[in-house]
Amino acid sequence: MNKLLFALFLLVIVSGSIDAQSSINPDISLIGTFNTFTNFIKGTPEYGKLNFGDPEMELFVDGYLNPFARATANISYENNTFGVEELYGNIVRGLPFDMQIKAGKFLVGFGKLNTVHPHAWPFLERPLFHQVFFGEGGLNDVGVNFSFLIPTGDVFTNLDLGIFKGKSMIPQTDSNAIDHGINPIFVGRLSTFWSLDDYTNLEVGLSGSYGAYSKGNLILFSIIKNVDNIETFNYLYGGIDFKFKYAPDSYTVLTIQGEGILNHRTVPRVDFFGVDNTTASSKKISNSGFFIYADYKFQKQFSFGVKYDYTAGILGDLPTFYSLSNDDKNSTQGFETWFSYYPVEETSVVRLGLQHLIYDYDDGTSRPAETTIKLQFLFSLGPHKAHPF
Amino acid sequence: MKKIILILILLIAIVSSNYANIKVVASTTVIYDLVKEIGKDKVAVDFIARGDQDPHFVEVLPSYMLKLRNADIFFRIGMGLEMWSNQLIDGSRNSSLKVIDLSTDIDKKEVPNYKPDASYGDVHPFGNPHYWLDPENAKVMAKEIYETLASESHQDEAFFKKNLDEFNSRIDKKMQEWTNTMQKVKGKSVLFFHASWIYFADRFGIKTAGFVEPKPGIAPSPSHNAELVQIIKSKNIKTIVMENFYSDSAPNQLAQLTGVKVVKVATAVYGIKSVNSYIDMIDNIVNQIIQNS
Ligand SMILES: [Zn+2]
Repeated sequence: MNKLLFALFLLVIVSGSIDAQSSINPDISLIGTFNTFTNFIKGTPEYGKLNFGDPEMELFVDGYLNPFARATANISYENNTFGVEELYGNIVRGLPFDMQIKAGKFLVGFGKLNTVHPHAWPFLERPLFHQVFFGEGGLNDVGVNFSFLIPTGDVFTNLDLGIFKGKSMIPQTDSNAIDHGINPIFVGRLSTFWSLDDYTNLEVGLSGSYGAYSKGNLILFSIIKNVDNIETFNYLYGGIDFKFKYAPDSYTVLTIQGEGILNHRTVPRVDFFGVDNTTASSKKISNSGFFIYADYKFQKQFSFGVKYDYTAGILGDLPTFYSLSNDDKNSTQGFETWFSYYPVEETSVVRLGLQHLIYDYDDGTSRPAETTIKLQFLFSLGPHKAHPF
Repeated sequence: MKKIILILILLIAIVSSNYANIKVVASTTVIYDLVKEIGKDKVAVDFIARGDQDPHFVEVLPSYMLKLRNADIFFRIGMGLEMWSNQLIDGSRNSSLKVIDLSTDIDKKEVPNYKPDASYGDVHPFGNPHYWLDPENAKVMAKEIYETLASESHQDEAFFKKNLDEFNSRIDKKMQEWTNTMQKVKGKSVLFFHASWIYFADRFGIKTAGFVEPKPGIAPSPSHNAELVQIIKSKNIKTIVMENFYSDSAPNQLAQLTGVKVVKVATAVYGIKSVNSYIDMIDNIVNQIIQNS
């Protein structure tokens, strides 16, 4: 059914663009990604072998509704299923206070990188802390964002304030995670952009997010004495980000970008003081994550770079009240390096990437580091798009 | 008290009458120069793409949005040259911004009669946008600029008209000079880097032997270079003309193999130090071609 709907959707778009060659048609672009990989994780069937991943696709349809508003749809095909990755309208001009309003489902601006689609990243692997604190698809949510220009003279300063459904913040899937509770969350970002000279630009941002990520009765977490205690589990994220770009000519670009997150939240914790003496209570924990990378693009067709990642939590853990963003004991580090070749402009790219993950367990559990090598082929079909900073 | 208010009002009136009253942003430095010619001190003008920058590929910077935020008019070349400009307009949040496309009255060349397709290169989907390299087209652009400024500020219409007439007569005079100088290369074949020269070549009667880029916006390739070596030899081509913001490594290879001369010129105002106006720019291009042919 999913596929049938999608095929119909495609048909409508394609026939529309053939019939009416007017410029009123929306822009359509299609991004295809094909991954092959091998890993060196002992005991896995992929060990040392060439593995072919399923192809992935993203279809973008976007255009102006009128001179002041745009709409965007992004349909993804991943793991053999179609999904609505993004679907939103955006009023960009003509509102009071020079406000912009974006409503629908979209990538939320906590930090800068999260709003950029993965195919446009210079590297292959989503930053580890994004996976741990926002989920595997990044912070992608249904809601409304209000964007304001702050009058700071010749310096561009923007304030985003948004309210969202909060689905990205409820990663718990285990049976303990009852009553996810649909409570809106708040996300905001203040960012400032400086042109240091004609060739050098810098953007710095501060982000925050607050809300409830779960609700529940502590009795369900364990053998609990305090039966009536229904708790709301809140989180508070603080973030800092920067992006630096130096492009001395149209053939060379050096990009250095980094982001960090601080997480404070209440989590349920069970304390054992012997067989008959177990208490469940909520505790406050703090943990953090960050990444930083440098990418050097030269001769317009080649780029290479390195990235370092640190995050609280063990990457790949099942989401529970003790794992990932609720984990204040264990951590994961990642090293990534890549080499990319753009044979013809940016319509296609071949990337070779290596990721090395190191797991650090508080209780001394030793787990060998894991290395994955990935070869990615990515193509982009559609009108040439300008590059935002 | 009344006197103070009166003085204040007078002061404001004086200050505002001397102050440039139309705020303009130009997408390129060529437009910037033409706006200065027509608007003079009645217009405050700024530009986005630098003269040493490929106008097809300008990064969408928030600082450019700020320029547009405070502008009354945004002039652009159009025909898809500034594919980055809509994002800047959106980002400016300026709902009263007038966006003027200067290609409206241009006799457009290479407008595809097929459905534009990326296999033809993806940067000239609506025809060839490099029309400003024909000085006769600069007059068409200047007229459009004059009309826009005059409708924005009726009381200055005569002033703008006078400036337009002056500019046109200067171009006409220079045009005779350029045409005479270019007689020396008329009918000769020249190799260009990017497909940006058709308007210039047609105006001065130069033949286009080919392009170093296999397709507009597509980087040079060894196989295409090999083809070009044959063309250079068979047509006895002496000169490769290219914009100074492109990499000269492929043209230099051709120069080594065939002895052809590589001429790097600015196709925008401020593209090189000595080019500070539209007329400077054409002067420089004409002189460079003549000296190296
Ligand atoms: Zn071009």
